[in-house]
Amino acid sequence: MITREEIIRLTNEALKKEFELTDDQLVPTAHLQQDVGLDSLDAVDMVVVLEQKFGMTLRQGYDIRSIVTLNDLYDFIEKLAREHEAGK
Amino acid sequence: MTQSPKVVITGTGAVSPYGAGVFALTEGLFSGSCGMHTVPELEALPMVKTKVAATVPDIDFSYIPRRDRRSMSRMAKYAYAAAKETLQSAGYAVAPQGLGFFMGSTLNSISVWLEVSKNCLQNHLELVKTSDFLQIMNHSPLATVSQALKINGPCVGAADACATGLMNVGLAYLAIKQGVVSQALCGGTEEYHPMFSACFDIMQATSCNFNDRPGEACRPFDKDRTGLVCSEGCGLLFLETEESAKKRGAPILAEIIGFSSNTETENMAYPSAQTLRECMEMAIKNAGISASQIDLLNAHATGTLVGDIAETQAANAVFGPGIQVNSLKGHLGHTMGASGSLELIACMEMLKRQEIIPTKNLCQPDERCAPVTHVTQLEKHPVNIILKNSFAIGGNNCSVIIRRPL
Repeated sequence: MITREEIIRLTNEALKKEFELTDDQLVPTAHLQQDVGLDSLDAVDMVVVLEQKFGMTLRQGYDIRSIVTLNDLYDFIEKLAREHEAGK
Repeated sequence: MTQSPKVVITGTGAVSPYGAGVFALTEGLFSGSCGMHTVPELEALPMVKTKVAATVPDIDFSYIPRRDRRSMSRMAKYAYAAAKETLQSAGYAVAPQGLGFFMGSTLNSISVWLEVSKNCLQNHLELVKTSDFLQIMNHSPLATVSQALKINGPCVGAADACATGLMNVGLAYLAIKQGVVSQALCGGTEEYHPMFSACFDIMQATSCNFNDRPGEACRPFDKDRTGLVCSEGCGLLFLETEESAKKRGAPILAEIIGFSSNTETENMAYPSAQTLRECMEMAIKNAGISASQIDLLNAHATGTLVGDIAETQAANAVFGPGIQVNSLKGHLGHTMGASGSLELIACMEMLKRQEIIPTKNLCQPDERCAPVTHVTQLEKHPVNIILKNSFAIGGNNCSVIIRRPL
């Protein structure tokens, strides 16, 4: 079972590479738009790179408006990962 | 009836095999150096005869803000750099309101297309990112640069293969003449991919006898030429009405006095001397001058067997054997969609310096070419009016005439 720490590490790794971010920008409370600087176009590409990273579909049920902070993103991926592992 | 305005050039920007900037371009050309080299991808293909290309040296584009850069292919980054330089040389820190933008390319980014195609072929369309799509749109460089630099006038891109750069200069010239815009950025951009060399190789139009001496590979008009050397870059110019330039005190670098375009319909790849002749004659008529007033013909001359012959035949018919002719393809290679505008910038420098760049690698003119006066040595010479040609596969021809500022 993938741990939350592993989800955070993989997510940050993907975001850093795709959006040229630094570690200090990737604090769990960071606002994806205001603090990290991602816009709507980035949000669409973010789904693609995270799907590749985790090998599962994120776009179904994905609602960018409900994901405000990095923590929200980790939560969202963890929820899907758990469902994925449970075979839902 | 109101007279149409004079159109002048007040800024230039370039990315070429000499590197970033107009200074690198003109210094490279006037010093007679070239950026050609063997290409490992071509060396690995035994069926492809040409092994040489000219490419832009690595440039660090990380200074372009990420949000702008994420949707830019390499050719769009060339265009961004050239557009910034052009605006700056025209005296603008930011794009003026209502600036028109006329720019295109032969193809969009092949390297990005191949990445996207890989996903398509493997049935993984879900892996195609929006930023990938934005890089392979036909007007991607035009769109991404206009967004990045807030160019908010009409943005239109002619895509006429090898004539793209000059055709866009012509479009901008017409748009200003007609009062659609008073200022415009214009030209062409292109990024090299070995596919260009391979395709021209199949058409038997590449240089293949000088692979061991890349600097001698492209030889316009020379008896030993076998074809072109593919290249890349971007050339942009800032055009505006003379009134606009004078009003804001912008130095006038040159005036565009004529433009013409026609299409070869007999053969897509082989231009006829007659059609090329008509194109040049139309430009001369459009400029309201006589052929004898042209001091220099800056030829399209890519170094192909048939193209160079046809162009000299046309030149001889229009001007007679006394016309001075040069080609810059021996230095730059064929920068494709960027060639017309990049070479027009070089023509402006020739007007400024009153010095003509010789045709590189022209050792012995091909006797099958019609008699013209080839420039084979860098020489000081009074040059007031230059006619520049660009001819494209597909039959699209155009000529632009520029004059030294009065």
